[in-house]
Amino acid sequence: MTRWRGRLRVETVLPGVSLVVTLVAFVVAAAAIGRSISPYDGYNALQGFAQLGLLALPLGLTMIAGEFDLSVAGVYALAGMLTVQFGQQQPLLGVGVAVVTGALVGAFQGGLIARFRLPSMPVTIASYIILLGVTSFISGGLTKTYTNADATAFVDQPVLTLFSPRSLITLALFVAIGLILSFSRLGSELRAIGGDRRAARASGVRTDGLLVGLFTASGALAAVGGSLLSISYSSANPDPGIQPLVLAVVAALIGGVSLAGGRGSAWGLLVGAVVVALLSQIVIFATLPGYVTQLVFAGFLLIVIAVDAPGVRRRVAAYVDARQLRGTRE
Amino acid sequence: MTARQLVSPERIVVAIVVVVVVIVCATTPQFLTLNNTKAILASTSVVGMAALGLTFITIVGSVVSLATAQSMAVVAMVFLAAQSWGLVPAMLISLVVGVVIGGIQGLAVGYWSINPVVLTIVTAFALTGLATLVSGGTTVNASGDGFKGLNATPGGIPLSVFVFAALALASQIVLQFSIKGRQIYLVGENRLAATSAGLPVARVVVFAWAAFGLLSSVGAMFLAAFNTSATINVGGSLTFDAIAAVLTGGTSIAGGRGSAIRTVIGVLAISIISDVLLLRGFSTGAQIAVKGVLILVFVVVVQVRAGRVAR
Repeated sequence: MTRWRGRLRVETVLPGVSLVVTLVAFVVAAAAIGRSISPYDGYNALQGFAQLGLLALPLGLTMIAGEFDLSVAGVYALAGMLTVQFGQQQPLLGVGVAVVTGALVGAFQGGLIARFRLPSMPVTIASYIILLGVTSFISGGLTKTYTNADATAFVDQPVLTLFSPRSLITLALFVAIGLILSFSRLGSELRAIGGDRRAARASGVRTDGLLVGLFTASGALAAVGGSLLSISYSSANPDPGIQPLVLAVVAALIGGVSLAGGRGSAWGLLVGAVVVALLSQIVIFATLPGYVTQLVFAGFLLIVIAVDAPGVRRRVAAYVDARQLRGTRE
Repeated sequence: MTARQLVSPERIVVAIVVVVVVIVCATTPQFLTLNNTKAILASTSVVGMAALGLTFITIVGSVVSLATAQSMAVVAMVFLAAQSWGLVPAMLISLVVGVVIGGIQGLAVGYWSINPVVLTIVTAFALTGLATLVSGGTTVNASGDGFKGLNATPGGIPLSVFVFAALALASQIVLQFSIKGRQIYLVGENRLAATSAGLPVARVVVFAWAAFGLLSSVGAMFLAAFNTSATINVGGSLTFDAIAAVLTGGTSIAGGRGSAIRTVIGVLAISIISDVLLLRGFSTGAQIAVKGVLILVFVVVVQVRAGRVAR
């Protein structure tokens, strides 16, 4: 099997087909309950996309590089809380504090991971726990109310019927990162350190600097997402649970990113996040019972696994390579 | 062991942390009391059983399960629903359900090399969906009261503590002395080499996952007995608690290294630290944050040390 066929199969076909299937399901579901699709459904789906996107984008980017930044969920919660804490009068001040904090947290983790060649999952699980603790400490364990109604009204006001400043900011970040990765060496370098880090290092990729930059960006992006959510909901929840994190992983996988690293793009992540948002929206407007959502996501992920199945042999090879690589890195 | 290894920076960090924790514990009023010791042990046992099970799949190279809480919740629901048939049949059914849930995932990971992280996310969704579908989203209450036997406290110590100790010992013996146990380490260390060496790699992986199912379902039964009722959310934060315990104990996330005893130490360390913070009147948030910092310190030290040994 040639390399480009493998890439065509998963990276492009998976998000593409998922998007088409989901859009068809959307229309069919609407027809089945005898309800016409209004622009409001699109607006709602995009609001869902805004909520999920800035978890899926940072997490997915680290997955492309063969890492796994679970702390994004913690940064998301802390950023929301900081925005409420510091942004009651000046929303931008709150967002600024949150984003700087997120970037610093990310830079610290990236530094640890690069300096000591640590596997990222244990480090980011520990950070996730710390961040939830700090968030809960700041709020006293309670949900905090954001009273700046002007800011709330601003981020959620409809723009061109379908969009809101919140979803537009999210989209803009996806597009910006997508363009940067497509038109600079960064995109291929990220995939290179995800695919074969030793080879990437040997070919002159500055892996350590790239990792620190990656985790810094991951923290900052997640912080933007958390801030926007708090402003939109006019409150910050100290413990959002792991459901948003899991949905972000699902979005990344549907977007064609592989957990072994080395595969995926910001465009795929964009489609993945939109697909998950649309699926959630279908369940909501068709008033299906909650467990259907769970089964739908389980089914979708099974399809992701099945799509990858013809490449099991190749995946085994990649898995073994990655493990051997890890063995030598340690 | 050379002198340099004896005083390596990692050991110094661990020693400092241990000394600080011991001093803080010793100077905390109420810490060195029998009741407090019992409280620590009781809070250890359920998460401990989950973490023991997780140790098997981490060592065999399957990273972690992100469905620990959901798997245990399903077993807890089954256990309570089956109470009307008597305690022993209910226990057997629960164990079978746990082993089947773990074993099926083991088959997928062992034979098809499916990524365990994706797989366990699927499992978490599927179990949540199916459990809600079957139970109609309502709380499962006990259909008999045989389960109360599990809440016994012989000698003032919860039965679950004795069971946890026995399971820890058994796990350690299996991992250290049985052929399957040694094979688990080999497969985790280098799956390709294990395959080349002719080991039944897939069967070893299935065994490890079935062990996870077995150990976590014992924990789930005690969880059910404590709560006397169960929903799919009864597992709470068990997924991450178990991962934190395994990692804090020093089992390597890359597989091939670790032990049941290390996991016991990890669980106890987290319980002791949580307990001291509670006694000293820290807020819940501060408790979680300090716990996280200590986990981070241990993870960094342990993984750096694992790297040194490997080199």
